[in-house]
Amino acid sequence: VEWNVSLWGKRRAFTEHVEKLAELVSEKTGGEFTLNISYGGLSKNKENLDGISIGAFEMAQFCAGYHRDKNRAITVLELPFLGVSNLDEEVAVSQAVYSHPAVQEEMAQWSARLLMPSPMPQYNIVGTGEPRDQLAEFDGMRVRATGGIGQAFSAVGGVPTSVTATEAYNAMESGVVDTVAFAQHAHLAYGTINRADWWTANLNPGTVNCPVVVNIDAYEALSPEHREALDSSVDGAVGHYLENYGKLLDKWDSVLTEKNVTKVELAEGELDAFRKVAADPIREKWIADMSAQGLPAQDLYELVMATLKQQRGN
Amino acid sequence: MAGQASVLEDQSLLSRFDRWLLSLEQALALLSGLAVFSLMVLAVVSVGGRNTANMPLPGYVDWIEQVMPLVAFMGISYVQRDGSHIRMDIVVGRLHGRALWFVEMLTVLLVLVLMVALVWGSWAHFQRSFDFSAPLWSRDSSIDIGIPIWPAKLLAPVAFSVLCVRLVLQVWGYGRAFVLGLANPVAVPLIQDTVAQAAAEAEQLEGQE
Amino acid sequence: MDSIDIGLWVTGGLLLMVVLGMRVAFAAGLAGLVGLVWIFWAKFGYAPDKLGKAVTVSVKIAGQVPHSKVSSQALSLIPTFILIGYLAYYAGLTKALFEAAKRWIAWVPGGLAVSTVFATAGFAAVSGASVATSAVFARIAIPEMLAIGYNKRFAAGVVAAAGTLASLIPPSAILVIYAIIVEQDVGKLLLAGFIPGAFSAVVYVLLIVGIAVIFKNVGPPVTGFTWRQRFESLPGALPIVFVIVIIICFVYNPFGGDAWGTPTEGGALGAFVVFLMALYHGMRWSELKNALLETAKLTVMIFTIIWGVLIYVRFLGFADLPGAFADWITSLTMSPMLILVCILLAYAVLGMFMDAIGMLLLTLPVVYPAVMALNGGEAVTAADSAFGMSGTMCAIWFGILVVKMAEFCLITPPIGLNCFVVAGVRPDLSVQDVFRGVMPFFIADGITIALLVAFPSIVLYLPRLAQ
Ligand code: NA
Ligand code: NA
Repeated sequence: VEWNVSLWGKRRAFTEHVEKLAELVSEKTGGEFTLNISYGGLSKNKENLDGISIGAFEMAQFCAGYHRDKNRAITVLELPFLGVSNLDEEVAVSQAVYSHPAVQEEMAQWSARLLMPSPMPQYNIVGTGEPRDQLAEFDGMRVRATGGIGQAFSAVGGVPTSVTATEAYNAMESGVVDTVAFAQHAHLAYGTINRADWWTANLNPGTVNCPVVVNIDAYEALSPEHREALDSSVDGAVGHYLENYGKLLDKWDSVLTEKNVTKVELAEGELDAFRKVAADPIREKWIADMSAQGLPAQDLYELVMATLKQQRGN
Repeated sequence: MAGQASVLEDQSLLSRFDRWLLSLEQALALLSGLAVFSLMVLAVVSVGGRNTANMPLPGYVDWIEQVMPLVAFMGISYVQRDGSHIRMDIVVGRLHGRALWFVEMLTVLLVLVLMVALVWGSWAHFQRSFDFSAPLWSRDSSIDIGIPIWPAKLLAPVAFSVLCVRLVLQVWGYGRAFVLGLANPVAVPLIQDTVAQAAAEAEQLEGQE
Repeated sequence: MDSIDIGLWVTGGLLLMVVLGMRVAFAAGLAGLVGLVWIFWAKFGYAPDKLGKAVTVSVKIAGQVPHSKVSSQALSLIPTFILIGYLAYYAGLTKALFEAAKRWIAWVPGGLAVSTVFATAGFAAVSGASVATSAVFARIAIPEMLAIGYNKRFAAGVVAAAGTLASLIPPSAILVIYAIIVEQDVGKLLLAGFIPGAFSAVVYVLLIVGIAVIFKNVGPPVTGFTWRQRFESLPGALPIVFVIVIIICFVYNPFGGDAWGTPTEGGALGAFVVFLMALYHGMRWSELKNALLETAKLTVMIFTIIWGVLIYVRFLGFADLPGAFADWITSLTMSPMLILVCILLAYAVLGMFMDAIGMLLLTLPVVYPAVMALNGGEAVTAADSAFGMSGTMCAIWFGILVVKMAEFCLITPPIGLNCFVVAGVRPDLSVQDVFRGVMPFFIADGITIALLVAFPSIVLYLPRLAQ
């Protein structure tokens, strides 16, 4: 059995769990079941979910924020200021949400079954010029941020500005944007760190959620041994991802020093004020909108909070 | 190479269909042109807003992505009508009479097969983004400001359907020429030799200066 | 039959349809669709009852491509660049440029021909398409050259060759297409075209001066313009300078400090400036409508090829042909430089028969990964690479080489579109005359390409500055 897997871009920290999964599955089945990973050859990233629904390939990765209307339920994980503070917590809340029946039902409309998350750290911003460490300084700031994070910044007077990830460096260089919100690996990959004078260490405005899914028919057509090999490899793959991303995060501080980028810490009072104007109204609006469409929005939000609490209790 | 050609007209039913369709095609092509113009206006508004009022156009990229299908698809049948889609006519250019009409009919039929399939495929693509029960009927939205994408996706099957009608007319036109052994059939693009064709292209520029 | 074989059979079928005169865009789309059906049916073990499912999946995959691929911000540069060119006619820019070039530099040997090259290079800075550029200058420059006793073949050759500059000097539709296929930064590529474009112009000029000195009958210098007349010719050409400054500064600010915006914005603002000029010059709705219709036509032609070929490319992705070709190229024992030269020569042969955009779209998905692999991969550092440059720089360098090859093909027989157009404008010139007149410029282009291969810094100087 050979499965096609649609990813995009290049092999990077963000795709290491899929690479590991392919390795583990092939190992466990003695090469009988292989994952053939393609970076962009099978689909455009925004259409990976369409490809799964068509049956063009058996496994794919996508990000909820690319097309919120395709995957309303999991956008709960992209709400600003959820308070997720590390990758382990991100894995825990993602997996909790992925097992919720309403989420699975929505994904089933795309013939998709959620397999594992691609945990991303918080989208802290880099900027040029004087560090912005007061809420008032976000007023009029042009920021490259999408979805909930963009909404959060506009709640404090920021101006979310559309540029694609690949144009982010140019946009920063040309003053089209003052700041860019990315995960660390993307700040490195798209070079925005090279233009930066500062990086917010504790703003933690939120992140994006990018699950790996499999086509339900293909999954159900697997022999019991192959399915077992796939399912049992998920933990190992995510573990490998976390370890690898952890190394990247360890390196991050030395990158900041090397590029002479200031680490900005906002005062707790400022952060509280930000959450008050940004997090609460956006969350309430999200819950109201999604409930109106028949999704158990309140439930999903409370599930995230409960999981966080439980994860910290451990 | 570019294969621009002329289309003859008369009072036959086929030719009247051809001209009726042409007026629709021209309107759609002008829509394409206006969409290009709007790309320019979008940029001026965005850059101007950013530099004068710190108010860049929200969702600038999203809007461009919505306009592009309008630019790219709406004129497709207009271009097919006079045979301007690029091709190599080294071989076809040497053929005459029935052999020519047969090859032309065959290739147009193949194009028709492709386009019928693409109407189906692009309609399915549209359908996946469309949901009557959702707000704004949207089941797929843009990345930045979340506008529904289904209107842009709908443009492909619409433009391709018009092209299919045009292709049916051309199959009819070439088929008629093949059966009747016509020398100068109506409603289909006739190959000019390359030099005459370049002269026609140049004339077009002349009118503009 | 494995997927590589399917890939080769389908590619053969595609070539057959193209030779039969099927429109390239649709031939590629159909080949891609049939190929997808084949791949999926093979995957289902050729079970007769699974053919329907293979067709459904393939049609749906192919049906995604048109919308998915054209709704891109980077591709929006192409229609804007085309619109600039059409508006430039109405703004009277072409005549003004030629007049200025004539008054300032026609005193050198081969003066009018040299002026033509410079005026064309200037027009190239607002025009994104080579063929349109040749068509315009054939009408403006050839009559003047013939009036003072130029050899008519030579005069036609100058115009046909100089028109090719439009695709190297930004803006350039074809460089944008290259950037999109290989997923590189459009701004850096446009920037990279600037020096090689100017460099090509200089090589053309040196060749013309050389010919004029050796063969006295080519064309005498034109002298006698007063300084006053020279300065009077400048204001008309000024908008060109505006547009150049806008486009360059939106990509990279040579005056130091930040660039002014993104390339997308720069292209659109450039078009806007020319639009205002054309309004001032007397353009009204009927002319604008004409320009918009012509822009739409050319744009739709290009975009249909783009999505048609990309359906075929999607099939190649499922057949994994690019990967296999890259593996084969890197397994060869020849030196990387020799392989690169062979690839360029293959382009020269292919380009004799094919349209530039179609050629790039068809070949790059397979050839580009192979060239990148040859250099040592996308992430290779300059020190570890075969060509002595990083992956990104290799992508830019190869892009300029390929586009220069594609431009060269516009003037080579038997199918050289620029030559056809020049012959079309001038009823007294046959296509053979123009091909004969353009031949000296093969030498110039050969020299230029060899120098670009031997000294990559000519290409990479500006992109490196912008890093
Ligand atoms: Na140009
Ligand atoms: Na040629």
